[in-house]
Amino acid sequence: MLTASSRLGIIFFPAYDWSISPTHPEREERLLYTQDQFREEGIFDIQGIDEYRPWIAQEEDIMRTHFCFPNVPTVCTNSHLISAGGVIRGAQLVMDKERDRAFAIVRPPGHHAMRTVHGSRGFCNINIEAVMIEWIREHYGNLRVAVVDTDCHHGDGTQDIYWHDPDVLFISLHQDGRTLYPGTGFPAEFGGPKALGRTINIPMPPRTSDTGYLMTVERIVLPILEHFKPDIIINSAGQDNHFSDPITNMNFTAQGYARLTKMLKPDIAVLEGGYAIKGALPYVNLGISLAMAGVDFSAVQEPELDPERIKEQKSTLDYLAALCDQLPEVYFNPKQQDVEREDGYFVRQRTIYYDTDDITETQVERVKDCPHCPGIMVVETETTSTPKSLGLYVPVQGCDLCSQEAEARFARAFQDGFAHAQLSDRVEKRYEYAT
Amino acid sequence: MLIGIDVGGTHTDGACIKDGHIQAIAKVPTDHDHLLDTISQVLSELLKSCDASEIRTINLSTTLSTNAIVTHRTEKVGMFVIPGPGIDASSYALGDQYHILSGCIDHRGAASARIREQQIQPLATECRHQGIQVYGVVGKFSTRNPEQEISVAQFLEPQADFVTQGHRVSESLNFGRRISTTYYNSAVWRTFNKFADAQEQSIRDLNIQADINIVKADGGTMPLKLAREIPVQSIFSGPAASVMGILSTVPVDEDALLLDIGGTTTDMTVLLNGIPLLERDGIAIGQHPTLVRALQVESIGIGGDSLISSQDGHLQVGPDRHGPCMAAGGSAPALMDAMNVLGYAQFGDRERSSAGIKEIAMTLGISTRECAEQIVSLTMSLLKEKIQAFLTTINSRPVYTIQEILEDRVVKPKRILIIGGPAEAMVPLLEEEFDIPVIAPAYSQIVNAIGAALTRPTQSLVLTVDTSRGRFTVPGLGIHKTIKRTYSLEEAVHDATTMLRAELDRQGIPAQDGDIQVIQAEAFNMVDGHYTIGRNIRVRCQMRPGVITTLVP
Repeated sequence: MLTASSRLGIIFFPAYDWSISPTHPEREERLLYTQDQFREEGIFDIQGIDEYRPWIAQEEDIMRTHFCFPNVPTVCTNSHLISAGGVIRGAQLVMDKERDRAFAIVRPPGHHAMRTVHGSRGFCNINIEAVMIEWIREHYGNLRVAVVDTDCHHGDGTQDIYWHDPDVLFISLHQDGRTLYPGTGFPAEFGGPKALGRTINIPMPPRTSDTGYLMTVERIVLPILEHFKPDIIINSAGQDNHFSDPITNMNFTAQGYARLTKMLKPDIAVLEGGYAIKGALPYVNLGISLAMAGVDFSAVQEPELDPERIKEQKSTLDYLAALCDQLPEVYFNPKQQDVEREDGYFVRQRTIYYDTDDITETQVERVKDCPHCPGIMVVETETTSTPKSLGLYVPVQGCDLCSQEAEARFARAFQDGFAHAQLSDRVEKRYEYAT
Repeated sequence: MLIGIDVGGTHTDGACIKDGHIQAIAKVPTDHDHLLDTISQVLSELLKSCDASEIRTINLSTTLSTNAIVTHRTEKVGMFVIPGPGIDASSYALGDQYHILSGCIDHRGAASARIREQQIQPLATECRHQGIQVYGVVGKFSTRNPEQEISVAQFLEPQADFVTQGHRVSESLNFGRRISTTYYNSAVWRTFNKFADAQEQSIRDLNIQADINIVKADGGTMPLKLAREIPVQSIFSGPAASVMGILSTVPVDEDALLLDIGGTTTDMTVLLNGIPLLERDGIAIGQHPTLVRALQVESIGIGGDSLISSQDGHLQVGPDRHGPCMAAGGSAPALMDAMNVLGYAQFGDRERSSAGIKEIAMTLGISTRECAEQIVSLTMSLLKEKIQAFLTTINSRPVYTIQEILEDRVVKPKRILIIGGPAEAMVPLLEEEFDIPVIAPAYSQIVNAIGAALTRPTQSLVLTVDTSRGRFTVPGLGIHKTIKRTYSLEEAVHDATTMLRAELDRQGIPAQDGDIQVIQAEAFNMVDGHYTIGRNIRVRCQMRPGVITTLVP
């Protein structure tokens, strides 16, 4: 009988009764063939691999991470609460040492969801990794967290949420934003003024395959992780770098994903994208699961794999090698950038488009240049359907002054002309809407 | 008139039932080396008060296959497996002749690598030289497409007395379990069939013209003719016979907990709306999990003969047993002795019980009665803890839809049914501990035989359709055909239940409305690019476990 060298908890929740629409890639059938493969391979008969039911996240868990306008139920359905609850369950298993590692194979995904949420972007409403990280920090203290996002799309939502947080290292490896949604994720995006070098973007050219991908992990990701010394490593395990994925252009394999997982050694992995539901997901999920459990995965392979056909060209490898030489500098020696300032606040003005729901948001984010903490965040946001709303966030490392300022602004939100106002004070643990 | 015979580890019980009344019972010691003699003895006992010509069915719960496996008296099997890529198939190896072949069927049922005869030829020859006469052939995803399994089986048939094909032992997915199920099926095939021949002969000799059915671990029976093909389905049927026995003495239609308290252990089973819960995949034979469907039964290391000991001032109950309790002539005090002291039981030599408990009490510096009270209270809290853990496991079973998560159907027993030696004595104690009604059914001494007699057949059927490929599969019936692209879920449910009913008819099993349960009925849109190319439909239905009739009180 096979035995896992790391006890692995798998939270498998395919949500067989939920879809964005009947022919949308994010539909009921997405994890059906993965479940078939798991069952046929008997993965839960391996000693040390067990299956767990997701929890249901509470409204407070969502409000700890997000500003939801006009309110939580409007943008966050039961499916999102269960998906986030599945990831939280994985964290609980690991934090309470019931399991050495956890893999949340849940849907819908989350890494395009930013701090402020008006609807669905890139199939995501709620950032399930961030909701989990904040749940961990609320219950187990402010740990140092590293998130390595290996989805083929730039994890712009997670980047946004941790842009100003020096204790969360976010590394995204993805197909170059000049060739794929959401069109961001360049090396020059490397964190807010108080968290420089804590965001690392690694754009890879289309048709990168196992050799190039794993070289990038080896030469950029691992040395940075080694230096950052996180308490916990999270892998946003999107599976759309696969050579058969219908909406991307990469050439990664199930074997490559398994080896990547073995190198990263994530404590918690979370399924993100990946829409080759028959040709990729069954094998990639199997490979990741076996690698996390420390079980031999050398014979895991797609039946139709032709390694010669998907090998990188030399020019691709040369490009990546040059990237590997330069990119670690972004972390080890980040350069101070020009930032817009206004009365002691750092300011970001943005227009954000929600492609899945066709919503356009205009937003002004102000973060206080506080001498004691990363600073209170004040977000003013509106869309064509939601009038001007206010979000107030005091970070988990926040100081009393920032906490007091948040409370004062919250109390006069309606007077100041906001239609909705949400307070997330991580210090006081206050998560509420103005009434 | 129905006869049930349960072959147990020490005794073989028989019961003859007519119109809900027990006509005759019998109990003889089991002779595992001459099982047929034991069964004939029980039949002869029963025939003293029943008319042979009235007997319609004989249901047998037998340890024959189980015993052959646990005592390693099985036949050598030549195994040929077709794993394709995935988890290393050598980890499922059973026996010396375990051969891994090329070939591959994927989860869609598509063949992506071929079987090569020149690879099989020398391996088959080697098996022949080793004198191997029974074989097993198992392919990954063979239930989706059995063509590679069939072609290997056909190749082996000229040199085989019997070949088990993986897709015929179970319609469920699980390659590793399919391998062990197939292996054990071939390993006990000859033993079982010899027994079946002799059994049929012996019944003819007794002038009985009845159908013979074999009790399965899932709380159902199968006709002997079918059991000859899949004898592995006859393993571990004892607990199922006992559960079905309880259900035929006390009808239950709510959530309930069943306890069978023996000498060393207590077996627990849970009923959901009166229907016993099944293991998720199947029962394990030692270290080898199989696809043999079985009731979910969990053992606790506490029974009437559980040894009482004290260590560093702490009492301990079980899990060891040092022979029978002192009341029954044993040498060390056991749980039953404490129950005797407190008057819950009046069993055997109560003086000896008292003396035994007193000895333990003295080491602790408390009175005999106080000691007995502590023992019983410790036992109850241990039982409660194990029962709660079992219920928690059941209630945290994974589910896969949002609706199921939100509904969160929690199993919460409304009563406890208890059988076994100390059952009567435990009733008031359990009632106090759990605060729900506790019932000890009548006839608890031969409840297994009653269960065997009244157990109905069970059978399940899985239908899988992929309309984009026009593929229609019912692996259990060996049906693999093409289907129109407009085939719907409604048609699939109709076809599955109709085919199951027809199959039950063919086997001479009557099915009433409501006996056939649709367990799963799902249809998924299959999309390629932005277009729906078909539907993936899965229907699973079963003749649910149940009893033919309940006993008239």
